[in-house]
Amino acid sequence: MMDKEKVFRQCITFCVLFAFWILLSGYLDAFHLIAGAVCSAIVTFLSYDSLITKQKKGGVFKLLRFSFYCGWLFIEILRAGSDVAYRVLHPHMPIDPQIITFETPLTDDIARTVLANSITLTPGTITIDVNGGTYTVHALTSDTARDLTDDRTIEKRVARIFLDAP
Amino acid sequence: MIAPWDLLTGLLIVLGLFFMIAGPVGLIRLPDVYTRAHASGKCDTVGQALILLGFIIYEGFTFDAVKLLLLILFIYVLSPTATHAIVRAAYVLKIVPWKRGGERQ
Repeated sequence: MMDKEKVFRQCITFCVLFAFWILLSGYLDAFHLIAGAVCSAIVTFLSYDSLITKQKKGGVFKLLRFSFYCGWLFIEILRAGSDVAYRVLHPHMPIDPQIITFETPLTDDIARTVLANSITLTPGTITIDVNGGTYTVHALTSDTARDLTDDRTIEKRVARIFLDAP
Repeated sequence: MIAPWDLLTGLLIVLGLFFMIAGPVGLIRLPDVYTRAHASGKCDTVGQALILLGFIIYEGFTFDAVKLLLLILFIYVLSPTATHAIVRAAYVLKIVPWKRGGERQ
């Protein structure tokens, strides 16, 4: 049983790596395909464990929810860029920077990483440090700081993807 | 006669360039390392994404277009990580963040 799962994971890893090779090389002749297959096989043999980790339930749905989240994040990033550009080009530079810390109830490592990167990408905030569940964040204005500590929009969205606490 | 796709490409690239210029302007105008990280980190991410998106539309559906799309995705993962590393280094070195009404650093 264990062995079957291992072979399955190796197959998936090999397919992903090989597809990536074809994508990057762009050549479909025998030499490039065989070279790609050999390289993919070596990498699969060495590190099949790290790409496909042990399957938990609902992995596919998680991925689906995550791609929706990426769409939302893209719009947030556009807003972030416009916001910073506006503040920088404004003659009086309306900024009021401050450092805030807050606790997150998220427990999953990946969820915490996604949250930290999302905070950096969204308007007016940069994650300085993450220590366990404590985030230290530099905010460009007091409004954006309040968004993080009171509204917690990003945190709720991340929690919904990973079905983690709140 | 300009094709509508070319027009969209041009529009995206010009918009991207606007953000790419806003980043360095912020780098010069803002008062300290933390706020400067905001300017360079965010404006560059958006600018690069828009310019590459323009290239993708110009390129059509080819291998190169998919490569450019991957490039955008990688930048989106790497840019916040790099920004975070710089800001964290400043924080660990105990550089005092600028407050409203403070002196420029």
